[in-house]
Amino acid sequence: MKDAFSTFHPIVNFAYFTGVILFGMFFLHPILLGIAMISAFTYSVMLNGKRTIRINLFYMIPMMLLMSLLNPAFNHEGKTILFYLKNGNPITLESILYGIAAACMFVTVILWFSCYNAVMTSDKFIYLFGRIIPSLSLILSMVLRFVPRYAAQIKVISKAQKCIGRDVSQGNILRRAKNGIHIVSIMTTWALENAIETADSMRSRGYGLPNRTSFSLFCFDNRDKAVLTVIMGLVTIVLAGSAAGENTMRFFPSIKAAKVSFSAIIVYCAYLILCILPAFINIMEGVKWRHIESKI
Amino acid sequence: MPEHKPTDKRMSRRTLLAAILILFIIPGTILFGVFFLNDRKYYFISLLIIMYTMLPFVMVFENRKPQARELIIIAVLAAIAVAGRAAFFMLPQFKPVVAVVIIAGVCFGGEAGFLVGAVAGFVSNFFFGQGPWTPWQMFCFGIIGFVAGILYKKGILKKTRLSLCIFGGLATFIIYGGIINIGSLLMFTSQFSWKALFATYISGFWFDIVHAIATAFFLYIISQTMIEKLDRIKIKYGLIEDVN
Repeated sequence: MKDAFSTFHPIVNFAYFTGVILFGMFFLHPILLGIAMISAFTYSVMLNGKRTIRINLFYMIPMMLLMSLLNPAFNHEGKTILFYLKNGNPITLESILYGIAAACMFVTVILWFSCYNAVMTSDKFIYLFGRIIPSLSLILSMVLRFVPRYAAQIKVISKAQKCIGRDVSQGNILRRAKNGIHIVSIMTTWALENAIETADSMRSRGYGLPNRTSFSLFCFDNRDKAVLTVIMGLVTIVLAGSAAGENTMRFFPSIKAAKVSFSAIIVYCAYLILCILPAFINIMEGVKWRHIESKI
Repeated sequence: MPEHKPTDKRMSRRTLLAAILILFIIPGTILFGVFFLNDRKYYFISLLIIMYTMLPFVMVFENRKPQARELIIIAVLAAIAVAGRAAFFMLPQFKPVVAVVIIAGVCFGGEAGFLVGAVAGFVSNFFFGQGPWTPWQMFCFGIIGFVAGILYKKGILKKTRLSLCIFGGLATFIIYGGIINIGSLLMFTSQFSWKALFATYISGFWFDIVHAIATAFFLYIISQTMIEKLDRIKIKYGLIEDVN
């Protein structure tokens, strides 16, 4: 399924991810942590499919376990002492729980980053930042383009070298290594000369003149306006809740979370809606499409 | 090819500003995070660092009209570094990135070295996965390029193989290893303690050694040809230095 949230204006995407990643980094309250982790996981599965599940099983869970174990080994704060290590340092319940919470937070942020990578493609990034930091975004886009291009060029050079018996697959091991270095050296020369050519071509096509447009054009339409307003509203509610201390969490010396009150529930709901928003938009789009399809 | 001695040993005001930013303000921010924010906001600190790493860039290029040629040379070097990192993906830590960054710093000056390093760190993570470690890598790669550029300008670092290899190995071990271990400690545990830091250094020791050897190895192999090519390009087309 195509991701509907990616079709929004880059500024909406960027604002959203800035919000959820920052919130994900700061909130340690178990309920908010759970909300963020589940929604980030759901959305990243929607975006990346089976790969996410595999990565999560093989990397994230061991990493979480490691982090949860590492923290109590070095951190001996907290008043509930479970047992003592051989060197006399205590292992406390609080430090174990804190390790788990920090591990969840870390995984959540990484999941959000993986969603960010899928949604904020480099052309969107460059569209957004092309005006503020034009040279930097130009360099970024060029490097991203150069890497696959060099890989292709290396193949070309390697084939040509093969004809004169100088490929990495020919000769003894020392010879091969030498040939390999030689190919890379040819590549470098080509890359540099080619780069100058590109630069001159850019200049003759008017690089650096004012009022030039981007490669990808995005319109900020009513749909974007609506979603951006919703995101801003939710972010404001969560921030207000955070300022009022509804989602603070203390681990040391004893665990103390903010009480679940009526206003806290509002904050939780707002955070839940915020985190699940892209997944929700995707599902709504799917339903809409079904509906239109069934009419035909 | 005769070696071109840097004629002007004084640093420009911009380089000085960038040096202050990189050498004092960034570590200061890290320490501020460690001691005053109780080190619970390490993500926030990482984001601040990523902003600082952009600043020297802004100072170098966004203020004056950058020439397409300068931009593209930096992009080429960063792309070579990224491609090098991708080519050796199967050997952990055995990467030529630092070597390329040092060569860039020596040939095109500190800021260019910094940019090549930071951009290579950022872009290669598009292929390897972005995460909270990105700013740390950007900073570590960048600062090595910057230091290489400054030391060359000061005449301490030479373009000879021996000099580059010694600098590369030491810089990778001390600067990269020294900083990235702090970064990984802050990423994986929540509370800073000297004991934990010491443990991280111990556990990272072999990785850092391998990385340092890799840098020296790549510098030994590629430095002379690369420098020759870059100098040739520089002279042929009159790049960065002449523009200033």
